Amino acid sequence: MWKRVFVTLMVCSFIAVVPVQAADFPTKEVQIIIPWAAGGATDLIFRALAATTGKYLGKAVVVVNRPGGGGAVGYTEGMKAAPDGYTLTAAVTPMTILPHQVSTAFTYKNFDPILNVVSDPSMFLIRSDAPWKSLKEFLDYAKQNPDMITVGNSGAGGGVHLVALAFEKAAGVKFNHIPFSGGGPSVTALLGGHVNAVSVSPPEGIPQVQAGKLKIIALFAEKRLAMFADVPTVKEQGIPFAMGMWRGLVAPKGTPPDAITKLHNAFKQGMDDPVLKKNAADMAVNLDYLGSEAFGKLIAGDHEFYGKLVKDIKK
Amino acid sequence: MFESLQHLIAGFGIALTVNNLFYCLMGAVIGTLIGVLPGLGPIAGIALLIPATYNLNATSAIIMLAGIYYGAMYGGSTTSILLNVPGETASVITCIDGYQMAQKGRAGPALATCAIGSFIAGTIAILGLVFLAPPLAEAALAFGPPEYFSLMVFGFIVLCNVTGTSLIKSLMMAVVGLIIGTVGLDPVTGVARFTFDSMDLLGGVEFVAVAIGLFGIGEVLANVEKPLEFLEGKVLVPRLRELYPTLEDLKKSFKAILRGTAVGFGIGLVPGPAPVIATYSSYMIEKNLSKHPEEFGKGAIEGVAGPESANNSACQSAFIPLFVLGIPFAPPTAILLGAFLIHGVTPGPMLIGEHPELFWGVIASMYIGNFILLLLNLPFVPLFANILRIPKKVLLPLVILFCLTGMYTVNNSLVDIWMMLLFGGLGYLLRKLDYEGAPLLLALVLGPKLEVAFRQSLMISHGDFGIFINRPISMGLLVATLLFLLVPVFRIILKFTRKGGIARG
Repeated sequence: MWKRVFVTLMVCSFIAVVPVQAADFPTKEVQIIIPWAAGGATDLIFRALAATTGKYLGKAVVVVNRPGGGGAVGYTEGMKAAPDGYTLTAAVTPMTILPHQVSTAFTYKNFDPILNVVSDPSMFLIRSDAPWKSLKEFLDYAKQNPDMITVGNSGAGGGVHLVALAFEKAAGVKFNHIPFSGGGPSVTALLGGHVNAVSVSPPEGIPQVQAGKLKIIALFAEKRLAMFADVPTVKEQGIPFAMGMWRGLVAPKGTPPDAITKLHNAFKQGMDDPVLKKNAADMAVNLDYLGSEAFGKLIAGDHEFYGKLVKDIKK
Repeated sequence: MFESLQHLIAGFGIALTVNNLFYCLMGAVIGTLIGVLPGLGPIAGIALLIPATYNLNATSAIIMLAGIYYGAMYGGSTTSILLNVPGETASVITCIDGYQMAQKGRAGPALATCAIGSFIAGTIAILGLVFLAPPLAEAALAFGPPEYFSLMVFGFIVLCNVTGTSLIKSLMMAVVGLIIGTVGLDPVTGVARFTFDSMDLLGGVEFVAVAIGLFGIGEVLANVEKPLEFLEGKVLVPRLRELYPTLEDLKKSFKAILRGTAVGFGIGLVPGPAPVIATYSSYMIEKNLSKHPEEFGKGAIEGVAGPESANNSACQSAFIPLFVLGIPFAPPTAILLGAFLIHGVTPGPMLIGEHPELFWGVIASMYIGNFILLLLNLPFVPLFANILRIPKKVLLPLVILFCLTGMYTVNNSLVDIWMMLLFGGLGYLLRKLDYEGAPLLLALVLGPKLEVAFRQSLMISHGDFGIFINRPISMGLLVATLLFLLVPVFRIILKFTRKGGIARG
């Protein structure tokens, strides 16, 4: 009798221990859920990273697109995945915006941060033949004609829309915001002259700026972009404002810490791989490594920030 | 022009290397297979294969991925014709007459006409791409929200009654489509509409689920209730001689193919649901120009040839905004844009100047790819037509299985599968009550775009409706729509005055 109890206890404790003990992690491929469609900026970056990380992790990294609901579908699924380190989710700024807008099943608290991969400043683009030659002229016009400058964005309540709203507050002006279904359509509308400006985040609009068809009128970065070193930030021009989008990786809450460490190290090596560095430079995205702890702080801070911003807009 | 030709010849030099020929062939074969499978479309296909191109040079990679895209357009019609299962948006219309042809034992000619039409359309459209790309891309930019709105109104009114059975019933179906189209996040304010707090409905109702459900599953259900002898039998199977189109078929289709090509090419330049508008328009044109419009809906070969050509040329002209502006107007070209970026090439205004070998090599490979696809698809015709030899009691469950797996591949979502089955039940009921699914699908695609364009326009104009009339393109489209609506009135007046004349005489 006691023997049977002992054996049962042994078996139970063994079963209980197995998921935590991840010494031989990973034993199979790791997948990353992208809550947006294939071909978008987030998808491109993580596909490139998955390609270079596989060899450091020892197992392949596979990208799965689960688009829908402005990202809510993918995040809900990523949250529900088994916390074993084999299903990760691409964490992008909207993850901290969505929960304030619709009743999502998740917040950032349902995830453990792994690392941040890229951070891109947002910016306003205008046509090269627009009447405004400088940020000052642009804002002066906006002040004299409130609500008249049309500013396209990639979707109502999305990242670049909120950036535009926050910027008009910082600059003390009022724009007329026009939502489009993605960064591509908004840039097209600007090229066709149907809106006066667009709020975007690289790589959207970069080729058109390079070709001289569009220009950056306001850059919301801490420092200038390497690709366009002659474009000053808005901070340099006296408006204390910088905002952008970050893209990193998270795992479901409760993932064993040593699995997270292993994933972190492998993805960090994948980020440092020269192939990935070249890909990132070609796409004009800005690699910006943050470790698990720092990334967690960034996410929590932005969650607070966007909560306030969304509340302000609703007023 | 001469310069373009010179570049093109150099491009052929690049595309005809053994390596690139191989990747072109690979793209064509994979594209055909992806097109044949319902659900799995070019978008998923290209996305899945991007990682396989990491180690290739940019030109070979794009040659292969572009091949998947236009190759899928060749294969897309196969299940529409054989099983009444539209694989993607572009092949909904092909179901109408293609499936009827197959039921009459003419699956072979229908499939072969699709391949030939696609080849002709593809080849002509590439010529347009070579010689007219930059000016056309500039012209496409003239379409802002107001123009887009008017185009959608035009498409909606003109194309809604595509099958021409009953205008009232078509309009009713279109309204149902519009209502279904409102499910999901409001595109302008981001508020969730009709989602009943379900995360899965936030993104809206998946078009492919509705299309496969209404057509494919609905058809299977309608067949199941037929007598047992019918289910044990097979579809009228053609003799070998009848596998390929007759001279008369070709004569009938030829003009339809050319018209389809022109329509598809023009509409392909407009952002958004180009394949749907292009195929519906082509079908309407053929039906209205035909000397025997009563054959449409019962297996008219022009009703297959026109739309299939239109979707292929629309697919080729969709490359123009991508190559020239660097902006994808359609989801498959959005994925191709991603592939370009991964290979360190940024499509856009600088592409032709900075990477001429890539641009002209890819263009040349498209000619070769279209030729390969024709050679590849024609021999498949007997093979596919023979699927109909399978007794129905075996074939029908296979179709269901095919639809289920195909549907799952679109978003990897079980909710989509339930949705498809639900619409399958609806499709069965509609069949019984003699309603058409095509207007519903059209409204489902156009409705959300119409709404967005309408609200964007009014936001830009601060609520002034004049924005739709003050702009020439928008105004022209609205006038054309009005004229179309007035045609029946004119007819009545004409009849009346003629009668009056006779009476007086």
